[in-house]
Amino acid sequence: MKMKKMIAVLLASMMIVSLAACGSSSSESSSTETTTETTKETESTETQDTSQAAETEESTELTGEVSISTWGYDTSGVAFQTIVNAYMEKNPGVTVNVIDYTSDDYNTSLGVAMAAATSDPDVIFIKDAGTLLTMADKNQLLPIDDYIAADALDLSVYSGGAELLQYNGVSYALPFRNDWYVLYYNKDLFDAAGVEYPSNDMTWEEYYELAAQLTSGEGTEKVYGTHHHKWEALVSAWAVQDGEHTVVAEDYSFYKEWYENTLALQDNGYMMDYATITTSNIGYADMFENQQCAMLPMGTYFMASLISAIANGECDDFNWGIAAIPHPSTTGAGYTVGAYTPVAISAYTDVPDLAWDFVKFATSEEAAALLGEQGVLTGIQTTESMAAIASLDGFPQDGTSEEALSYTHFVFDRPLDPDIEEVRTVLNEVHELIMIESYSVDDGIAELNERVAEIKGW
Amino acid sequence: MENEKQVLSPKMKRKLKSNAVGFSFVLPSLLGYAIFVFIPVCFSLILSLMEWDASQAPLKFVGLQNFVTIFGDRNFRNSFIHTVTYSLMTVFPTLVISLLLAVLMNSKIRGITFFRAAFYFPHIVSVVAVGAVWNMLFQPDYGPINMFLKFIGISNPPRWVLSTTWAMPAVAIVSVWKNMGYYMIIYLAGLQGIDHSLHEAASIDGANGWQRLRYITVPLLTPTTFFVLIMLTIQCFKVFDLVYVMTGGGPGNATQTLVNYIYTKAFTSWKLGEASAAAMIMFVVVLAVTLIQFAGERKWSDQM
Repeated sequence: MKMKKMIAVLLASMMIVSLAACGSSSSESSSTETTTETTKETESTETQDTSQAAETEESTELTGEVSISTWGYDTSGVAFQTIVNAYMEKNPGVTVNVIDYTSDDYNTSLGVAMAAATSDPDVIFIKDAGTLLTMADKNQLLPIDDYIAADALDLSVYSGGAELLQYNGVSYALPFRNDWYVLYYNKDLFDAAGVEYPSNDMTWEEYYELAAQLTSGEGTEKVYGTHHHKWEALVSAWAVQDGEHTVVAEDYSFYKEWYENTLALQDNGYMMDYATITTSNIGYADMFENQQCAMLPMGTYFMASLISAIANGECDDFNWGIAAIPHPSTTGAGYTVGAYTPVAISAYTDVPDLAWDFVKFATSEEAAALLGEQGVLTGIQTTESMAAIASLDGFPQDGTSEEALSYTHFVFDRPLDPDIEEVRTVLNEVHELIMIESYSVDDGIAELNERVAEIKGW
Repeated sequence: MENEKQVLSPKMKRKLKSNAVGFSFVLPSLLGYAIFVFIPVCFSLILSLMEWDASQAPLKFVGLQNFVTIFGDRNFRNSFIHTVTYSLMTVFPTLVISLLLAVLMNSKIRGITFFRAAFYFPHIVSVVAVGAVWNMLFQPDYGPINMFLKFIGISNPPRWVLSTTWAMPAVAIVSVWKNMGYYMIIYLAGLQGIDHSLHEAASIDGANGWQRLRYITVPLLTPTTFFVLIMLTIQCFKVFDLVYVMTGGGPGNATQTLVNYIYTKAFTSWKLGEASAAAMIMFVVVLAVTLIQFAGERKWSDQM
């Protein structure tokens, strides 16, 4: 009996202790670490001292360890790898520890890690710009205005990107990458069909016609005129392209024509139907690389992997080109939709100066040039970096493709809204129901209006 | 402590010692249970009364507000209904099929162990693999299942995971297929406990196979059936992985279950208070089912 009581007391006290630990701000250890926490922590504290010392001595030699959080580092993280390697080469005294998560779970894993308030990661690459706001709201990000001022950093190189990422007038992040939609097309298929290549000034109506002209064959031989991946963004982005609306809206009736147009492509068989794409897990890259579609509206991030897939013989060697994404008939050419990949510093970092140095490097012109050589578009677009991309081995040398990479109007695919992730859940659900034709477009719009209003409290 | 020791009689000392040995054996599992189950459950009970966004901000006490919020949330109501529907669609078919399988597998056919193993096999395969393979089978346009349905003359077969009406049955079918082997084993154990002389007597009286099943096997298996029913119900309420792999809660939210809802609330919306409140409601439901099970067990163990 006594033993039982003792156990009970033990359990109860353990519970209280652990609850207290959860409540206080001193929780430790995230399970996703690659290196042991304890050794790292002591090392990092030393680092902070030395880096501060270094700064006072005005020496450029930095030492210590900085950890960064990334997604898909080994599989699709050419940009991350380039930056990390270049930074370590430049600062031999610094070790960069990569904490990598899978792409799908990035926001969740990062959110859990941040809830534990550990000192790692120090530098956070942000996958969806919306998370920047939720994290800033939770005071998980370090405001960097003081650093920007101290280093007299010229934000104009980002051509407005840095300001776009400000939240409530505070800078938390700098633009690391900048990607937007372009239209990839298969020149061989266009030639075979005897159709002129898409131009950089094309309306969506003209694009739909091209899709019809380029669809051919049946069964396994079928070539689709175009391919829209299953993402909700591949409808909503065109709806917000004119800059008149955003995807967090009180009235979604402006979606109507875009859904109707997309459904028409699907019903006419000009693009693969949504049902097949989801149930068979069709990847957009495979569709284009296997020449099963003549056109592909997709982000500029696809460029680098397409070039390397062809160069490494992972797919057929065919001729392709890039055109500017089609534009609504109400706007002129040069309107595009895209997003930034911001890079920020954790509020719990133990090496803020080193973290800032890394962020500064990752978003510098120097890094932009290095990334340009990899076909990656960064927050900084100089004539040199664009020229570097256009002169890449494998980049279509036709003049128009390079020209397609410039735009006059840049619209965010999603607004910086703290509720954006929740709204996206609704957008995705309704998108699916419309695309499988379980909902009519009007039903879908009505449900969007209702549910988004509930989230936003309108 | 030392004073106490001297007071203890040798008998008590022995008892204490044997108790200590006993506890030391259960301690690892008890500790694991405490750290990974008991404490988190208690914490989520507390969280269900709080507002928390997984930041370092202090928890804010909001009383029962979280419960009010989620009861007013149509997604929660839908998820609850979906979970109940899923349970109904899974529990009864599994019961019947696993019982029939067990009766079949109880007969003395050559190579019966092979068939037993074959039917048990789905239970040990990873849910992810099962979900992926069944998704291919259910593919609405060229999947084998719909090909077969078309072949037997159904010109407009269900669109399965792409249809809001058929997605849940599709998941339930896979769940039945995956679970039947496991409950078959439990039924087999129950069947072997039935005295063979009863069947003999019945056959002498002229009862056919169906009558023996109906009037001897099924009634005598009632405790097992009850156990299976309860276990299945609890299992169904906790379903997450299969749905996640097969439909991801879709189309729309047609297959979103309670656990799914809790997960989204917690890790997409970061509303841990509301998520915990939903978890508490689920906990109460499962607890109620478990208590019924305990009561039933007492009843049947008295009878035996």
